[in-house]
Amino acid sequence: MSATAAVSAPPRRSSLMRYFRHPGFLIGTILLAAMLVIAVAAPWIAPWSPLDTDLANTLAAPSGQHLLGTDQYGRDVLSRLIWGTRISLQVAVAVMALSLTLGMVIGAVAGFFGGWVERITVSIIDILLAFPGFLLALALVAARGSSLESVIVAVALAYTPRVAAVMRAVVLTIKPRTYVEASRAIGMGNLRLLFLHVVPNSLPPVIVVATIGAATAILAEAGLSFLGLGVQPPAPTWGNVIADGQSFLASNPMISLSAGLCIALMVVALNLLGDGLRDTLDPQMRRSSGKLL
Amino acid sequence: MSQTQSRFQTASGAADGQPPALELVDASRVFTRRGGLFRKAGTPVRAVDGVSLAIHPGETLGLVGESGSGKSTLGRLALRLVDPSSGRLLVDGRDVTEVPKAAMQAMRRDIQMVFQDPYGSLDPRVTIGQSIAEPLKVHGLWDPKGGPHKVAGVMSLVGLDPSHADRYPHQFSGGQRQRIGIARALTLDPKILVLDEPVSALDVSIQAQIINLLQRIQRERGLSYLFIAHDLAVVRHVSHRIAVMYLGTVVELAARDTLYRRPLHPYTVSLLSAVPIADLRMRKRRRTSVTMGEIGSATNVPSGCRFHPRCYRARLVAAGGDVPTERSGDALLPRACLMEQPALRPCGDQTGTGAGDQVACHFPETPETRSEVAAAVLQDIGYPPIRPISPQSV
Amino acid sequence: MANPNPHPGLSVAPPPPVAPVPVPRPVALELRDLTTVFPGDDGPITVIDGISLAVRAGGTLAVVGESGSGKSMTFLSALGLVASPGRVQRGEVRIGGADVLGQTPEQLRRLRGAVVSMIFQDPLTALNPVFTIGEQIVEVLRAHGHFSRAAARTRAVELLARVQIPDPARRIDDYPHQLSGGQRQRVLIAMAIALSPKVLIADEPTTALDVTVQAQILDLLAELQADTGMALVLITHDLGLVARYADDVAVMYAGRLVEVGSIEEVFSDPRHPYTRALFRSIPRLDGPVDEELPAIEGQPPNVARLPPGCAFEPRCTLGRGRADCCTKRPLPLAGDRSGHRSACFHADRLDQMEAAQ
Repeated sequence: MSATAAVSAPPRRSSLMRYFRHPGFLIGTILLAAMLVIAVAAPWIAPWSPLDTDLANTLAAPSGQHLLGTDQYGRDVLSRLIWGTRISLQVAVAVMALSLTLGMVIGAVAGFFGGWVERITVSIIDILLAFPGFLLALALVAARGSSLESVIVAVALAYTPRVAAVMRAVVLTIKPRTYVEASRAIGMGNLRLLFLHVVPNSLPPVIVVATIGAATAILAEAGLSFLGLGVQPPAPTWGNVIADGQSFLASNPMISLSAGLCIALMVVALNLLGDGLRDTLDPQMRRSSGKLL
Repeated sequence: MSQTQSRFQTASGAADGQPPALELVDASRVFTRRGGLFRKAGTPVRAVDGVSLAIHPGETLGLVGESGSGKSTLGRLALRLVDPSSGRLLVDGRDVTEVPKAAMQAMRRDIQMVFQDPYGSLDPRVTIGQSIAEPLKVHGLWDPKGGPHKVAGVMSLVGLDPSHADRYPHQFSGGQRQRIGIARALTLDPKILVLDEPVSALDVSIQAQIINLLQRIQRERGLSYLFIAHDLAVVRHVSHRIAVMYLGTVVELAARDTLYRRPLHPYTVSLLSAVPIADLRMRKRRRTSVTMGEIGSATNVPSGCRFHPRCYRARLVAAGGDVPTERSGDALLPRACLMEQPALRPCGDQTGTGAGDQVACHFPETPETRSEVAAAVLQDIGYPPIRPISPQSV
Repeated sequence: MANPNPHPGLSVAPPPPVAPVPVPRPVALELRDLTTVFPGDDGPITVIDGISLAVRAGGTLAVVGESGSGKSMTFLSALGLVASPGRVQRGEVRIGGADVLGQTPEQLRRLRGAVVSMIFQDPLTALNPVFTIGEQIVEVLRAHGHFSRAAARTRAVELLARVQIPDPARRIDDYPHQLSGGQRQRVLIAMAIALSPKVLIADEPTTALDVTVQAQILDLLAELQADTGMALVLITHDLGLVARYADDVAVMYAGRLVEVGSIEEVFSDPRHPYTRALFRSIPRLDGPVDEELPAIEGQPPNVARLPPGCAFEPRCTLGRGRADCCTKRPLPLAGDRSGHRSACFHADRLDQMEAAQ
């Protein structure tokens, strides 16, 4: 009685390659990698200091010396944008990490344990979700004073309920799976079950949400900075550059436009990445393409 | 094996004084859906209602019934995967009903479960080696030296190649995954396995492999099985005794050999009449089938005997005219069936293999009172009508 | 919620209309050399390979096989329902004599439901939960026919009565979740027979149902068939159902036909080792109990990696290791249903070979 002979599947194919076959994922990754390189290498590749003013040369048109021209204080716009990449990426990564951690814990606990914990958490999440996230962040920054940390904390807190809501919904679909019951049957405790089986299987959709959340964070940072509530000038952020350029939109449109383009590129890159992750991680997709293998 | 069998089929079921490996005493489980702000509380569902059963060491107790009969809930009660609403649960004679969750760990080592769905019961992100090792780790019994050896041991016991331990569940076929599930249940050397429809999701050609495997393991390790299934032919092949469940209650509990040759409860007769038989004889003959609609709902249990709305025998008895009757809808039924819930009581010939057979019916189909319906059904399934049972009839 | 049958009790079901046909009835559905492939990493994977089958009007053909044997795929292919990226590579599907494979998707759509209809295993997911069962039956009638809304509704009540739903005039406004599993399958049957199709394909119609309900559903199908003379294709893994309801049997293994014949031929004298082993491996109500079941060893093969010879060779106690079985592919079964055919090289010597073992 040995049925061991034929195990009916090949060894796992490189799963990384599967991701890169998705064009959105590929483009998003390339764009983000480029921005990461720019952010890290900013001190070396920026032609000028982002803070040095040159009052003799304000609002210069693009030229060989200043590829994107200068602003009203004579600062090099390109250099400010290059340094701005750093702040935007910092915001994106920090917000993603913070809201992911908080949201996952809250959502997982609510979904897994149920009962009054769930009912209270869900009520709070619903109320927070009904509240525009940007307004929430605005209020938080107003209360804490404006700084890079304030912006990160504010946007992360505003985004946490979204992650928590998704996490809870996913955990609810994992909880009734037979392997969860099977783990209980071998005597596994709740915490171990939650962290060994439920959370790992809930990650894919939550990561997608967090990626798209990072894009939202960059927009929110730009918006807050533009309103003067974000990172304070003269620090070079994309939001500040847009704010600086807004008075000169007619005469020197390059200032605001180029910063806007940077934001748009980053957001598109993150969204493409999110789409790619969703398509590749979605078990439904995988099942249909791998049905016969 | 026949010796072990006869030992369990004595009236008390424990002739040698050993306590049952697992015993449920008057166990019930009621599910209620809590009401909320905008939601009415649900009607309570009596999934299991006052069931008493004992499984003896080395014995297989088959548990059959339609979906909705409560057989799966009963299996989960045995592991305390769901807690009983009332009643008691005894393992090896020890009452574990009140044992707090934390202290259940030790008990869980003795009772393990194999699930129906070989695809869903394994975490897709965990290698099968880790899955099989998990029970040891959970119970603090894992040691880095002996552990892998132990895992390899159970893997070869169930017919898996130990070198496949680092593969993932999706790389295995359904039958192999069910072997993995069985291996996982065996790592802790349990005394009792609850097998919840272990072969119903498998291909026909694989079912026999798994049945043989389970029986071999039972012989080698002296395990007790609670074998939950809806396939009466499979249950007959593996069980020593069989309990038939209907809407949360056990309606018949009998030795394997007598249940199929002398079904006492009209519901058992009805179930037997519905079994498809892979035999051409069945085409050539008219076949008796008992039409009886569908199982009722456990939210709205019929009064008296729960089976009365579907029971052919109650109608036959009422038509016979010897008992007080009453009208229910457009049917004339014995009053007893409508008013009084029958208790499980000894019935039939209580000697030989039939000793200990019990039925919960006001008008059971004993060989002396057997209706023509039951006789025809028995003939259909290959047991010619005999009264009383004669030994040369098989 | 399950409304118990108002008339429970005894019935002696007549045996299903039995085969001896005085005049050969016309072939309602015929498949010739039907082959479907899916793209794979190492070239196309043939999921069904050279299937030739026929079912006559008023007859029941049972198609038996394990999961992955291609029994469902065969009929999805025949109806043009193969999901992309799969495609029918070659073959013919003749319904009433005309080849329908070359037809446009629109022509095929008109054919489905009206001439050939299909019912599936899971009666819950096959019904749309947001519409009443009446609306869904009316939808079928109006999509193909020339029914007014009122006429369609009247017909829907008739159909529900036809499939023995109690109190059809009231139940027609129920939503699927208000019905039991068996009643849902009855509703699906009502939808399938709404336009009096010539062929009804039932894909594991009772696998999700209790055994007590299973008998009722299949008796209903047999009765409808006797009344309307439609051809019935019963896709199943349950040999008990085959014995009771089928006239002809086709046994599939790994996407190929291994044995085709009348029920009497295949059950009393199976000519393929797989069929024989299958019969032996199932527990029977009157079989021996204290011995091991003669199981078929090994696993069903992966159609993407079939052995070069007979697909069953690695599991076959008779042919394992034989030179011809290992290297040569048995010919697929072809042609009409006039004979008992087996795809085994040794079909005529199986008894001797078994005796010699």
